[in-house]
Amino acid sequence: MAQKFDIEEVRKRFIGMETPPAKGRYPVEHDPIRRHCQMVEDTNPLFLDPEYARRTRWGGVICPPSGWLALYFASLGPWPPAFEPLVPVVPAPGKRIINLSQEVEWFDVIRVGDHLSVRRRIVDVYQKPIGIDPEAVWVVSELVVTNQRDEVVCIIRNTHLFHRTPEEVAAAQQEGQP
Amino acid sequence: MKRPQRYWEDVQVGEELPGFSLEINLRRVIQQVSGTQDWYPLHFDPQFARRAGHQDIFMNTGFLQAALVRVITDWMGDEGFLKKLYFEMRRQQRPGDVMTCKGRVVDKYVRDGQHLVECEVWAENEREGVTTPGRAWVVLPTREGT
Repeated sequence: MAQKFDIEEVRKRFIGMETPPAKGRYPVEHDPIRRHCQMVEDTNPLFLDPEYARRTRWGGVICPPSGWLALYFASLGPWPPAFEPLVPVVPAPGKRIINLSQEVEWFDVIRVGDHLSVRRRIVDVYQKPIGIDPEAVWVVSELVVTNQRDEVVCIIRNTHLFHRTPEEVAAAQQEGQP
Repeated sequence: MKRPQRYWEDVQVGEELPGFSLEINLRRVIQQVSGTQDWYPLHFDPQFARRAGHQDIFMNTGFLQAALVRVITDWMGDEGFLKKLYFEMRRQQRPGDVMTCKGRVVDKYVRDGQHLVECEVWAENEREGVTTPGRAWVVLPTREGT
């Protein structure tokens, strides 16, 4: 029989936990910005055209203010892949993840050539049932992205949901678990 | 040619931000993976998505965020600064949908010397209505140059 999941124990161990800083393998580059813009048909020359961007207040190409792109350059970009989970891994009955909400607060722009790092901290962990999983676990995290001068460029707050598949829920219930 | 610039004085509460629509199709799904480097199969592998209890794959956080950011950055001009964006993934954008992204100014004020405009932004589709509601706080320049 599977061991019962103890949310109070997980809360005690993980709330406030911070991961060591991760640093992007490469500086901020033009082409990932171009691909990011391409997916939503964003043709803004501030993000794509070095000549145009040079004549603006920013003095060169900047990243679209997307927390995802900041994280990409701070940790998600390496190939070969180095597993850098978006949030510190919290034990939960389910391994399926959904991102439910995100808040990104910006303090500066990100420029091509910047070299970004990220620190991740667990702010809250709690259990709240969803339709497909009565044991779903919710994780609130805060990610602080800094540049090569150790200046904070943005803070990202995420709420992720960890849940089981319907088959996993059915199997657990056959064993008398929730 | 320089893009149009929004100035704080000219912004009207209730004003709509011109949005755009994107067809969610296989090409877009591939662009989503390329543009976000998000390799979680929930966003491109229908079998994986169905096993997890979803009806189909759906577009990821990075894609939705990029679309909402575009609504703001297309509108605010080169001198604007997106100070904060909050959004919720309440429903899904799936292949077959046409995603429309829009915005509306809900407030404007001066705080800590910054000329701020607060906007609702959202993504919607015909199947589910508003899928991704959000709010954005934008710093705009003034005509006096602050």
